[in-house]
Amino acid sequence: MQPIILTLQKRDATQWLEKLLSLGEVIAPVRGSGEDVIFSTPACADAVLWEFANPLHPPKRFVLPQTDPLVQIKHNGHRHEVEPIYDDSPRILFNARSCDAKGIVFLTRMHEMEPADASYLRRAHNLTVVSLACTTPCPSGFCVCTNSGPFLSDGYDVQLTDLGENYLVEVGSAKGHATVSCAQNLFRLATESEKVQRKRLEVEAKNRFGEETCHFASAMRRVSTGRVSDALWERMSDWCLECGACNFVCPTCYCFSVKDLGRNGGWVRCRMWDSCQYNAFTLEASGHNPRPERKERMKRRFFHKVSAQYYQRDAMVGCVGCGRCIKACLGTTSMPAVVGAIRKGKWHE
Amino acid sequence: MLSVSTTCPFCACGCGLYLLAQPGGLAGVAPSETHAVSSGRLCARGWGAHEAALWGNRLKKPLVNKHGTLETASWEDALDYVARRMTDLIKAGKPVGVLGSPRATNEENYLAGKLARAGLRTNNIDSCFNRLCAPLLAGLEDVCGENVPSAHIDDVERSQTILLTEGDLARTHPRAASSVLKAVEGGAHLITLGHLRTQMARVASLHLETAPGNEGEVIDRLLAAVLNLRLEDPNWVAQHCNGLDGLLRAVSSIPVTEGARQAAEWLGRAERAVILMAPPIAQPHQARRDAAALATLAALTGHLGKPGSGLLPLLPRSNARGACDVGVTQGYLPGHEPASDRSAQQRLRDLWGQQLAPGDGLDAESLLQSVSGLIVLADDPPSVLPIGQRAMAALAKIEFLAVLDAFETSTSRIAHAVLPIACFAETEGTITNMEGRIQEVHAAADPPGEATPGWLVLAELCARFGVGASYDSAGDVLNEIGVAVPQYARREPGMADSGRGAQRAEDFNGRKYSLRAAGAANLLTDERSTLLVRDEVFDWGSDPLVSYSPTLSRDSQSQRKLFPKGFVEIGQPYADELGIPVGRQVRLTSATGQAVLPLRLRPGLKSGVLVVPYAFRDQVAAVLGAEGVTAVRLEQA
Repeated sequence: MQPIILTLQKRDATQWLEKLLSLGEVIAPVRGSGEDVIFSTPACADAVLWEFANPLHPPKRFVLPQTDPLVQIKHNGHRHEVEPIYDDSPRILFNARSCDAKGIVFLTRMHEMEPADASYLRRAHNLTVVSLACTTPCPSGFCVCTNSGPFLSDGYDVQLTDLGENYLVEVGSAKGHATVSCAQNLFRLATESEKVQRKRLEVEAKNRFGEETCHFASAMRRVSTGRVSDALWERMSDWCLECGACNFVCPTCYCFSVKDLGRNGGWVRCRMWDSCQYNAFTLEASGHNPRPERKERMKRRFFHKVSAQYYQRDAMVGCVGCGRCIKACLGTTSMPAVVGAIRKGKWHE
Repeated sequence: MLSVSTTCPFCACGCGLYLLAQPGGLAGVAPSETHAVSSGRLCARGWGAHEAALWGNRLKKPLVNKHGTLETASWEDALDYVARRMTDLIKAGKPVGVLGSPRATNEENYLAGKLARAGLRTNNIDSCFNRLCAPLLAGLEDVCGENVPSAHIDDVERSQTILLTEGDLARTHPRAASSVLKAVEGGAHLITLGHLRTQMARVASLHLETAPGNEGEVIDRLLAAVLNLRLEDPNWVAQHCNGLDGLLRAVSSIPVTEGARQAAEWLGRAERAVILMAPPIAQPHQARRDAAALATLAALTGHLGKPGSGLLPLLPRSNARGACDVGVTQGYLPGHEPASDRSAQQRLRDLWGQQLAPGDGLDAESLLQSVSGLIVLADDPPSVLPIGQRAMAALAKIEFLAVLDAFETSTSRIAHAVLPIACFAETEGTITNMEGRIQEVHAAADPPGEATPGWLVLAELCARFGVGASYDSAGDVLNEIGVAVPQYARREPGMADSGRGAQRAEDFNGRKYSLRAAGAANLLTDERSTLLVRDEVFDWGSDPLVSYSPTLSRDSQSQRKLFPKGFVEIGQPYADELGIPVGRQVRLTSATGQAVLPLRLRPGLKSGVLVVPYAFRDQVAAVLGAEGVTAVRLEQA
């Protein structure tokens, strides 16, 4: 659809949020414990944050929960009955950052590939993403290197930009349209100067990035052609503590394992987040493990993330530049650190 | 989706996390980005913290033994039954006891201690983990006068020098290992000490190799090097330390090696340095001396009594420190005061309205082998104690065994009464990390079935023994702990609201340090023999929070499936030297017995040493005897 560009006065934002809250489930950045910011259901419209550091835990769990019930298995006499479990609740993810909106686009494309994943897609199709463009880049973000921020040109249902007095409201989909039409008296069409201001803010934001950069292109050449030495992987692997945080906080990671949970005399088959960095991720029933050493698992992870082979399929690297792995990594093997080492052929030297 | 801020239940780092819950129950974990300890970094265990509560074999109904089988009972009947059976044993003059646990909260442990001391009138109260914790804390106390750690995990990250006596930090305390890695990346000197070249040793500036159990010898060499190089500040030592002459006598004849000289220089010249002490391999008396020698090393090099520097004992499990603090430790009353201390006795007598029993009581291992009645709180002695299956045999002989736990364990399966309590994700309370930080745990889900918070069950039991225990909340219990353990009263305002831990006040001003050497170490120095050592790294695979978690249990389960009879580990160079191919069955023979089991590769293991993982200690019980390290003859079977 042709984007519709509107304007919302800041003082009306609460009223809009109240309307959205009254209509269904809203997830937004709110205050957590201490100084934390987390994605959660706000108690009221005023609890939604507008100026905040992007939460460390991404909102991907609202389309792909860490524990995801897929199928109910029940006893029926001597037979078992299998029933899919779908979560069809409509949700609005409000004030998500550009990188996270892009992460959901990445995940949805993956789950749409045949055979399509109905459980994921029902959640994703029922999720409306209202993103808040980053007029100030976050200190450890590098989304300019992955084309996933600070502003989006697609991948949102609604994109908001803080213009000072007003928010510019870019409506990018029918789902987005529904979120503004429920309170249409609050919006007016944006003026040309407001549209120009948004463009200017985007350019300014792109010039204000911090020190984190990620030169994917040169790393991709080396990874895709096997020009990263085994010794380098081995050296780097000593700086990984196998926590799996890089996978869990990554907006684009979706590896899982499946386990049945006994409930009420039957079972619920659950998909659970798993980490390709865990020893047992590829452990076979025989006891054989094709990737028994951490260096092999790291190599595999970065091949999936930055190789040309996957880039051709996904049309983007497996990274949205959010910088979360820099903060969450127990070791020192975040995306920028490893990509930098691959590019230079050196680690901590 | 509900996000409940709480404290990680695994190791003693005490990371902050959110439990995520849906109407159906727990659904996941999120890190707390600004938490004082973890700052958003969780290890694999932390990320899987919700799983055991969801997947575990949970105890859901009170069970009592009727006519030889366990049958469900009402809470009233079950509590009355436990009280009656224990009372009968006490009236018959038979010994009874209680085991607390670092898997339980401070409130639960405190009430377990109160039940033992004031209710059952016994000092037989201990925890199976104290074997590992007590020597570290006692060694610290020998030098500093109290056992409070002087360094914090975030001090590690800012240190210029880190000395690490190695268990295997990357596996035992990943969050502390994280700080070590970040410090080393920033240019800090890491010195590791041990018989294994672990992941930490591979990134270290210097690895000081030692035979297992001989760590004290290397620590003394470091002390000798510090004194030899005059790295100590004589004025500060004169003012703040006792025992310098004795220390000089003890270590002056020890030759200083190049490694010791380098390590001493890095420690002595660093503005900020942290010494991380892993649980000991040596026998408890030597382990205490080793810990004291490490504290002496910190004192001599000017790193005690200085913020940002000092010692941190690496306690094995989440609430190991809290359990000790609130009185679940043999020979000590709440507040870590000796059981014989009259003023402490008086304080508790006033608080509890009961006369306390005399004596020190028994430690966990002796206790379960000698009492007739035992109440076990959230623990499974056979999977924790070094005696393994012999603990199981001892438990089976106990006349009356009651278990309070959230999970089914080998102990709960043979109990005469089972009282189901809420697990960490379903209860309110506090736990104390290895830094001494008292942190809150909060309920993110309801306990299953009729399970109920442990503090409530223990309060009911106390009441049945005539001990006042009327609390409306876990917070009420914590308030009482604040009277019994003054350090727990000094909590920062607002802690209850924010869910953040309050730190214990630490005042180093005017403290005197008693300098001590480790002294003659283990005598197993015959170079011709092979040493078999029991890996003291805690076997998480046998802990319910791991064994019941589908994600976290995979490694240990597959290892147990592949090696049902266990294995011993060897370094490749030593296997080559002996000419025994890795994978073959070997026969180990010691003075006490023999065992046959397969040989497996352990990268980085020192020559002359074999390691048996803690999980497989039963398989070599005959060879090890009562020791943790023993000389063996090794031959292909």
